Amino acid sequence: MACTVLALLGCPAQAAALSVTILQADGRPLTGAVVVAESKLAYPARTNVKAIMDQRDLMFVPEVLLIRTGTAVEFPNSDQVRHQVYSFSGAKTFQLPLYAGKTQPPVVFDRAGIVTVGCNIHDAMIAYIFVTDSPWHGRSNDKGALQLADLAAGNYLVKIWHPRMNEGRQLIEQAVTLSDNADGSVKIQLRKALRGAVHHHTTGKQWQDY
Amino acid sequence: MARLLKIFALCCAQTVFQQAIGHDLDLSIDLRAVSSNATQSRLTGGLGTTRYAEANNGLQAGLLRLAYRGDLTDTLQFTGEAISYGERSEPVLDITEAYLHWRPIPDSAWRSQVKLGAFYPEISLENRLRGWSSPYTLSYSAINSWVGEELRTIGAEYALDWLGQKSGHAFDVGFSAALFGWNDPAGTVIATRGWGLHDQQTGLFGDFGKHDQQPLPERTLFYDEMDQRVGYHYAVKADYRGLIELHALHYDNRADPAVYSAEIDDTGWLTHFNSFGIRITPNEQLTFIWQRLYGRTYAGDPPAPNCFLFSSWFGLMSVKSGSDRYSIRYDKFDMNQMVSTYRFYDHQQGHAWTLAYSKQLGEHWSVSIEGMQVDSQHRRRTRIGLPAAARERQLQLALRYDL
Repeated sequence: MACTVLALLGCPAQAAALSVTILQADGRPLTGAVVVAESKLAYPARTNVKAIMDQRDLMFVPEVLLIRTGTAVEFPNSDQVRHQVYSFSGAKTFQLPLYAGKTQPPVVFDRAGIVTVGCNIHDAMIAYIFVTDSPWHGRSNDKGALQLADLAAGNYLVKIWHPRMNEGRQLIEQAVTLSDNADGSVKIQLRKALRGAVHHHTTGKQWQDY
Repeated sequence: MARLLKIFALCCAQTVFQQAIGHDLDLSIDLRAVSSNATQSRLTGGLGTTRYAEANNGLQAGLLRLAYRGDLTDTLQFTGEAISYGERSEPVLDITEAYLHWRPIPDSAWRSQVKLGAFYPEISLENRLRGWSSPYTLSYSAINSWVGEELRTIGAEYALDWLGQKSGHAFDVGFSAALFGWNDPAGTVIATRGWGLHDQQTGLFGDFGKHDQQPLPERTLFYDEMDQRVGYHYAVKADYRGLIELHALHYDNRADPAVYSAEIDDTGWLTHFNSFGIRITPNEQLTFIWQRLYGRTYAGDPPAPNCFLFSSWFGLMSVKSGSDRYSIRYDKFDMNQMVSTYRFYDHQQGHAWTLAYSKQLGEHWSVSIEGMQVDSQHRRRTRIGLPAAARERQLQLALRYDL
């Protein structure tokens, strides 16, 4: 699909792959990092426009949701207690009233950026929605690796993000140029140790810190 | 005061129940099997440090708790909590908290909150379950047992939180300040009974350890306003990604120790203290809590009223493995009378070890077993013919149902 669209747009037709490897400061692989390759080339059309961020056991599931711009995200509540979902992030500000079940309409994320989502009743609940215009995105596996396929030759800016990154800037960026028929690779190592994992101590309706 | 509070609570409950967009009802029932070697229970008038004495050995009704939460609007919630304890007489079911909580949805990293009514000040790092109970042990630390005995904010609290974690930072911070009344007797129990370790909360209309043994005062009304002076407390807290939480609070009830109330046959108790605590949860299995509280209280006979210093600290470690939880806590406490108008200088000091195991049995049932040993010296015991020193051991098995 991507190749077809690019060909129609007059872009080079030879697709290449980009391998990205991300290591923590101590050399161990970084799992679950968001990887996005951005280009000034025209992007292929969107194919996936719906996504779900559930609320279970007083946690958002998944903790990190990676979507393309324009995606409508549903926030069902699978808990016994009511939740009140909100974000005041620049990329998307929204508030859902108190609710249980699947009563709220989806929220459309129409700007690229990182949206931090919280629940006003349970402050420990936190999740992130990474919104990107680019179709070339994914998350690193347990080896810290991700392969992005079907990229046309050209210049790309690879962006790396992880909720526990502590690099003093929101994103790590690295430029890469892909040539015709030549796969590229990017290897990035963090400079600083990750922040501690957020601790979800509350797993039942009886929890309520005083 | 009691009538006013009752009317307030009932009006709120009725209005909320009629208008609320959502309701939550809680019911907890706790049955105990108890074995204790203590001579006197702290909670039925004695100078023991534990809830149960030898006379209570056998089956006991641990507690019955009813709670209601109603959302009046999206951002305004009413909470009412009521508890009854098996070995207590009056009243059968007493209100421990009743308050309105306004919590607007944040549109920036700064969020304000307001509480109005009767509620707990933010002191405890171990009382983390609804109904102000602890997931770790059946008996709370000496510090938080005292909070449950004598402290309640009956007034208004404003809190300002900076939600750093929701705006790209690693931590949140919060500040709160409260003005309150009806807590002028706070300090009586710590001065006349010293510290204890148990799980009973004094109800807003109840009494603490009613008895007829002089020289201990008999209390009838507990949360009382005697001098028309407003008390205050303020607190700061910080939370690093849920891994490290810090709390600090300063409390001053500003009671007038020279004011006498014939209704409770006592003067006001001017009580102020500081509390500091840290909770560390390095992963989902482990929890460490450390808390220290120290302060002083004055009562009666100006210009040199009786003065008592009190302090305590505890360290707790808890390990959770699936539905099993193992906890251990060490408490150390002391109380010293510095000024006496009765030629008797009271003194208490002691320490306690608490070991607890609990298991969640499905969604509603849980079982807990707790052993506690308290070694203490209390000079006042000699005035009722008991040795000052006591080693009290208490074993409890609890079966609990939570709706």
